[in-house]
Amino acid sequence: MPAPAVPLSRPQSTVMLSRVAHSLYWMSRYIERAENLARLLEVNLQFLLDFQGIDDDALKDHWGSIIASSGSGELFAQHYPVADSRSVTAFLAFDLRNPSSILACVYAARENARMIRDQISLEMWGTINELYLYLKARDAAEVWSAGPNDFFERIKAHSHLFQGLTEATFSRSEGWEFIQFGKFIERADKTTRILDVKYHILLPTAADVGGAIDTAQWQAVLRSASALEAYRRFYVREILPWKAAEFLIFSDSFPRSLHFCVAQVDDLLRRILGETAARPRTEAARISRRLLGELQSRTIPDVLEQGLHEFLLDAQKALDLIGDEVVQTTMFYPIEANPDEQQQQQQQQ
Amino acid sequence: MLLRLLHRTTFVYAGVVRDSFNEVRLRPVDDDRQTCRRFDLRIDPPGSEVRNYGDYYGNEVRYFDVAEAHEQLTIEAISEVETVPDRLRPEVPVVATAANPRAAATELYAEYLAASHYVPLAVELWRETQDVFAISPRHDVWSDTCNLGRHLFKTFQYRPHTTGVNTLATDALAQRMGVCQDFAHVMLGFCRQSGLPARYVSGYFFNNRLRPGEIEASHAWIEVLVPGFGWVGYDPTHDRPVDERYVKIAAGRDYADIRPVSGTYRGAPTRELRVEVTVREAVDAFA
Amino acid sequence: MRRAGDGGKSPAKPGSSASYSPVSIISPSYETGDFFDEMVAAGGDVRPHYRRLTERLGTLPETEFNQRRAAVDLAFLSRGVTFTVYGDNEGTERIFPFDLIPRIIPSAEWKRLEEGLAQRITALNLFLHDIYHEQKILRDGVVPAALVLGAKHFRREFMNFNVPRGIYVHICGTDLIRDKDGRYLVLEDNLRCPSGASYMIENRAAMRRAFPNVFQSYRVRPVEGYADTLLKSLLHLASSRSEKPNVVLLTPGVYNSAYFEHTFLARQMGIPIVEGRDLVVRDSRVFMRTTSGLVPVDVIYRRIDDDFLDPSVFRPDSMLGVPGLVNAYRAGRVALANAIGTGVADDKVIYAYVPKIIKYYLDQEPLLPNVNTYLASEPADRKYILENIPRLVVKSANEAGGYGMLIGPAATKAECDDFRAKVAAQPRNFIAQDPIMLSRSPTWCDGRLEGRHIDLRPYILYGEKIVVTPGGLTRVALRKGSLVVNSSQGGGSKDTWVLQGDE
Repeated sequence: MPAPAVPLSRPQSTVMLSRVAHSLYWMSRYIERAENLARLLEVNLQFLLDFQGIDDDALKDHWGSIIASSGSGELFAQHYPVADSRSVTAFLAFDLRNPSSILACVYAARENARMIRDQISLEMWGTINELYLYLKARDAAEVWSAGPNDFFERIKAHSHLFQGLTEATFSRSEGWEFIQFGKFIERADKTTRILDVKYHILLPTAADVGGAIDTAQWQAVLRSASALEAYRRFYVREILPWKAAEFLIFSDSFPRSLHFCVAQVDDLLRRILGETAARPRTEAARISRRLLGELQSRTIPDVLEQGLHEFLLDAQKALDLIGDEVVQTTMFYPIEANPDEQQQQQQQQ
Repeated sequence: MLLRLLHRTTFVYAGVVRDSFNEVRLRPVDDDRQTCRRFDLRIDPPGSEVRNYGDYYGNEVRYFDVAEAHEQLTIEAISEVETVPDRLRPEVPVVATAANPRAAATELYAEYLAASHYVPLAVELWRETQDVFAISPRHDVWSDTCNLGRHLFKTFQYRPHTTGVNTLATDALAQRMGVCQDFAHVMLGFCRQSGLPARYVSGYFFNNRLRPGEIEASHAWIEVLVPGFGWVGYDPTHDRPVDERYVKIAAGRDYADIRPVSGTYRGAPTRELRVEVTVREAVDAFA
Repeated sequence: MRRAGDGGKSPAKPGSSASYSPVSIISPSYETGDFFDEMVAAGGDVRPHYRRLTERLGTLPETEFNQRRAAVDLAFLSRGVTFTVYGDNEGTERIFPFDLIPRIIPSAEWKRLEEGLAQRITALNLFLHDIYHEQKILRDGVVPAALVLGAKHFRREFMNFNVPRGIYVHICGTDLIRDKDGRYLVLEDNLRCPSGASYMIENRAAMRRAFPNVFQSYRVRPVEGYADTLLKSLLHLASSRSEKPNVVLLTPGVYNSAYFEHTFLARQMGIPIVEGRDLVVRDSRVFMRTTSGLVPVDVIYRRIDDDFLDPSVFRPDSMLGVPGLVNAYRAGRVALANAIGTGVADDKVIYAYVPKIIKYYLDQEPLLPNVNTYLASEPADRKYILENIPRLVVKSANEAGGYGMLIGPAATKAECDDFRAKVAAQPRNFIAQDPIMLSRSPTWCDGRLEGRHIDLRPYILYGEKIVVTPGGLTRVALRKGSLVVNSSQGGGSKDTWVLQGDE
């Protein structure tokens, strides 16, 4: 008989089904993903509006960089010839062919929520369902012509409402840990991508550094993480690019910084995987510990020397590994329909 | 006769599969016409412990599961069966066909007169039996059965690959060809529509005139109930009563009840199914 | 036709001038018609056990009554006490309509019902054991073998199985009706996955909130112990090997119409609720897939039909079941409630033989009679049915929920012809009964109290001993004149009060 992966630390009646953990995890991740995307698009649309006509050269790759940092460059290229505000927004917000578009994320979040309806409160379900129904009833063209800002506001509002309701109505049980784990791992990943946008923008010429556009671009990065005000409170001075990066990577108090998120992930991991000893037993905990260690001890000059982009890529990889390992260990056969994982019948002629 | 049988089934999958749950009906019966002296079942990969039970029809079923990932599954049954020699088998008595097929004596065999999955009680089957009886009027259970069987044998063709494992009796009747499974199903249709309780039998036939290159396979025939006597086997594919060359594995209403191997698994579809059957006369008692 | 409260003819009637006020809900025009009325007797008198209730209702202004109704409905809605209607794309969730007037049963009356129901489940259990083992009753010709062996739910795969404690039916819901003379008759047994117990419990909670004083004054026997008793009967099935048996509830999932009840009962019992894909069989043992690994399961309260339980034995296309479950059951490593194959005993044709079954196994006359039934499989009955369809209620042997049924007197010629053809084609699948004048109960309909037809489904649990939950679900046909009480076809429910005493 197969031994449990980790010692059974909870009484049987509160044991959590793998399928339920899986749905809670993904429901949470998808909502966080949708919210981050909404903010990213909103900020950058605004940014480009502000700088329209001032310097097209510096701006023309802006959209391209957003696509590149999202990791969906190839998929985008398959369906859209040119990266401009319209096509990028369509792809990242409404296109169901993009499994990470806002629409796809909300649909997936709702589907996961529906499968575990009896685990979440009525209000939590109601919030996701409402957002889903709202999106279903609209099409891209309609939203675009009405002004996309309303759209983004609604996504963010629902996400915040959902998180608040979860905080208020979801019992602090094992399910809670999976929800938080999903949220923070997604948020950490998105923060790295927000920072990475700036990398993909062609290196400015010497004259551009510190100039209006450069500063504005860094401001957009901070805004994409809702970090502008927090940054100003912390640094009180002008926006220096490396300071912004430092803030978003190393701050231990700002809830969207990489450090903050990874600290949460590390803590949740220990509880989920039952890691009580000083030295981690599981690979996921090992990777998380190492990443957290770096975020606790390295400095921004270190990172810039290594290369910001490389650093961020490493962090993304580490987060992917952590997520995968937790899914494998605690959720066994993921329910996400893998066409191979279906039942068949054998018969003899 | 002492016969040694090998029945090997190999499933080759188009990829990796897991959680395979299987039931096999491969062990020859013990009854007044044969004794199974030895039976070995080998599974590769081995999977769980193999357990068994007796099903509704008295067939021995063995079941097991193979949980871990595998790309191929082989089920091998080796048995040795001693069949009662023909000269020692009692003659089938003459029992007049009951006027009312639903008489009390046959009430308990009602399901062998009713429609089953592969043998619907279609009117075409009934019509054909009437044609047979018009020529050879009804007399007694056994001779009626043989007359129906002879008619089937004469008017059907044995042609592999014209039907499939899911072909119903009515389909086979329409095309008038098939393999032993189809012959048996059509024969069941004839018997049942004539008020003769009959059941499907799976097993092997020892062909002592096997030509080189001729394919050996498992065989199917039927048994009809002769009141006061018991079940008597008849092979419509060869138009003859069952004799000492036949080894019986399982009986049921139709093929659905006696599938040699059935079950489910999770994963890639079956790319290839190989079945090897050998039926030999055993010279030594063991080997 | 009798009228209650006809100008001063008899005392203590609803609507008599002493307690009648122009806005009270009790009105003098309440008609009992030709039916047995639960509240009002033939002479127009209120039955003794309803007096306290009618007195209270007599002083209750309609506006307040409506307020309480609204409060109850709102509570049901917010608690999610719903059922899902089949055939809807998104699965529409509806509140099971609830009527505030309870059905009251005095204790002496209930005692007779209890004895009759216990007798019936004992006999049916023995019947099931017999037909899945030696089949003595078939050999003795008491029940035609063809009817049993040809029954849709007779499970050959289950032959010779030894079930824990020899109990096949752990949870039974038997539907009872009353005829014109107030005699209780068994309409049908439900031995597979009977539902509605959750509504019974929720209805009681609603009545307590709506009529706290009347409720208390009556000393009503509690139904809240149901979940506890159910859990005990499930634990009773666990093999002695497990110290702390793991009991789970197996549900088809969110898309099932009774999903609310599944989650409700699981929560009340404090057991995990699982779907087929959460369970896995390894070496003939059943496990639950959890975040801490595989946890063994000892007893499964399954709310999935036999057909869908295990694709390696039953329907291979079922995605709801657990491959290997039946063989784990067979190996004695897990217990199922109810056992597989119980459906053969609640087949509508076998129903007609239950009195004989009781006699055969217990050597007793049935305490609760059947409704007189004609079997289309018997030639004489078949002739009668075909000739008299417009006057009969014809039922398909295997449908549930009021589907596959013809109510002759209310049907069109086309519908009758259609059924005639069906019966002639597949006589084994049909039975017919004389229409029973079902009893009625005062029900709030569009602003007034009117009589509506009702039935009663008590729940019988068979564990260490047989426990008949006092009360059950009284279902009411809300449409005027309708005899169909099922939720999916316009039915509602009432709370059922079994009294400690007789009034």
